[in-house]
Amino acid sequence: MTAPPRPQRRKLGSDARAAYVFLAPALIGFTVFVVYPLIRSAYFALTQYNGLSVPKFVGFDNFRRMFTTDPSFWPSVRATLLLVVLYVPLSLAIGLALAVFCNQRMRGVSLLRTLCYLPVVLPVVATITLWKFVFNPQVGLANQVLTWLHLPTSEWLSGSDSAMPSIVIVMLWSVGSTMIIFLAALQAVPTELYEAARLDGAGPRTVFFRITLPLISPIMVLQVVLQMVTALQAFNQPKILSPDGMGGPGFSTRVLMLSIYTNGFPSLGRVAQLGYASAQVWVLFLVIVVLIAATARFSSIWTYSDHVS
Amino acid sequence: MKTSPPTAPPPPDSAGAARPRGRAARAASWYTVALLISSVMILPILWMFTVALKGPSAVFEVPPKLLPHEFHFKNFIDGPKAIHFPRLLLNSLVITGLSVIGGVMTSMMAGYALARLRFPGRRILFYVFVGSMLLPPVVGIIPLFQLFKDIGWYDTWLPLIVPAWLGGNPLFIFLARQYFLSIPQSIDEAAKVDGAGHLRIFVSVMLPLTRPAWITMSILAFQMSWNDYLNPLIYLYSSQKWPLSVGMASFVSQFAGQTPDWNLYMATNLLYMLPPLAVFFVAQRYFIQGLSALGTVNQR
Repeated sequence: MTAPPRPQRRKLGSDARAAYVFLAPALIGFTVFVVYPLIRSAYFALTQYNGLSVPKFVGFDNFRRMFTTDPSFWPSVRATLLLVVLYVPLSLAIGLALAVFCNQRMRGVSLLRTLCYLPVVLPVVATITLWKFVFNPQVGLANQVLTWLHLPTSEWLSGSDSAMPSIVIVMLWSVGSTMIIFLAALQAVPTELYEAARLDGAGPRTVFFRITLPLISPIMVLQVVLQMVTALQAFNQPKILSPDGMGGPGFSTRVLMLSIYTNGFPSLGRVAQLGYASAQVWVLFLVIVVLIAATARFSSIWTYSDHVS
Repeated sequence: MKTSPPTAPPPPDSAGAARPRGRAARAASWYTVALLISSVMILPILWMFTVALKGPSAVFEVPPKLLPHEFHFKNFIDGPKAIHFPRLLLNSLVITGLSVIGGVMTSMMAGYALARLRFPGRRILFYVFVGSMLLPPVVGIIPLFQLFKDIGWYDTWLPLIVPAWLGGNPLFIFLARQYFLSIPQSIDEAAKVDGAGHLRIFVSVMLPLTRPAWITMSILAFQMSWNDYLNPLIYLYSSQKWPLSVGMASFVSQFAGQTPDWNLYMATNLLYMLPPLAVFFVAQRYFIQGLSALGTVNQR
């Protein structure tokens, strides 16, 4: 070791080398598992491809077929949007309400938080299959409770009108994760603001709508986006809960993800339609992008920001 | 502009004497609602316990009894037998274990480089990783399926494990970077003066300091992998290679058209839930920490 102390420039070089070594796995992964599939799936969407033969370029035929002749496409768009419309507002409202409720100083509040969070901890497949039995029309807990309360019972998953709401109930049972995120946001609101408002004689409602809600609005936007993406990509619930595993009864719970799955990964002798499924992937992807962009744009109008000066 | 003028006395003052009673009423209503919420959360789980203990005929009694008349503890043996539970459990443990180790390690490495090393392109790379968090995984499923099939990984565990070892989850990279940024720069300068290389600094200085970060990430990664249903469903054909998630879902639909033995099923389902539950109760605060980090990401 007779080398003189290294000059500054060499040191930067060694830093950079180390950085690329440390980043190598993530960079390889990013290229192979993000960039490559993105390009490839755009290409697949324009081809007819069964996974075995060479993909045959067909231009926009897949999209034409989707929008005009496929009898299951529009029902699956409807099912997907119904899921979003039911799930997103409810999960936000219930999650926020629970967070506000669990943010009060009461004995046992931490136990309540744990209980609300419990369903999130359980494996998704375990909770979905549990609810499949809860919704059993004859011997399930759901109808049993309704009978005790002298309320009309329901067919739940086997009724074409009640199937999607039932799926939404199962998804809402895991609202604890939304609650925890809102709780963290609520606890970050400075208490001086509440004290000041109280001194000014503001009631709890005014405090909530004038102080709490504006201050947590960035988290609200994040949640809208997260829950929307969750709902648009819901797969496990419709797949496991539908009686036929294909989004039945009828097409009532055949969301786009399930449609993509049945076309792209067929079982029981049906031919794979990877090209057609990829086209559906791109439709779903564009819907996600448009909804996120719209949320972001819309949110700048009502999100509170403190850069007023 | 509907705020009351400052001269109007706030309502609580006018009812000064009634205050303790008001507080009691408030507490009473709080506990009523709390009880209601907890029963919605806990009732299905309690019911699962009772079904798991029922005999085969008691499950289909109409109206169902909340408590079984006799306890069939044998369900906890017969149920798991029906789906080769020990093997699926081992599969799940291996798949989850390997993907947690790989995912956390490579994300921590990437986070270290992005937060503490200067190199050309570091800003762009950070934005690229953060941006890819928004990319829905669905976009990749078909080409990836083809890719794994082409290189002969179909019906092996490799598609479920190798991606984790290659950077895994952009969210983890992001969390790791944020945590590394909070560590004072003087610490690695001191280590460098002592002659430590980057690997040495990362392993013996940074990893001990970032313990909460990688414990939180490990727990999230464990939960994700243990829960994963779509990927094993796509990639694994042979039922002896399935993880528990696919095995449990097939338990419910294995007799297409026929009703499954719900009592056996629920007993097995309870066993399937035990590992994540155990992790949760041991590491509760890390669970919450992981999610809260997400909740405060946008603030500031």
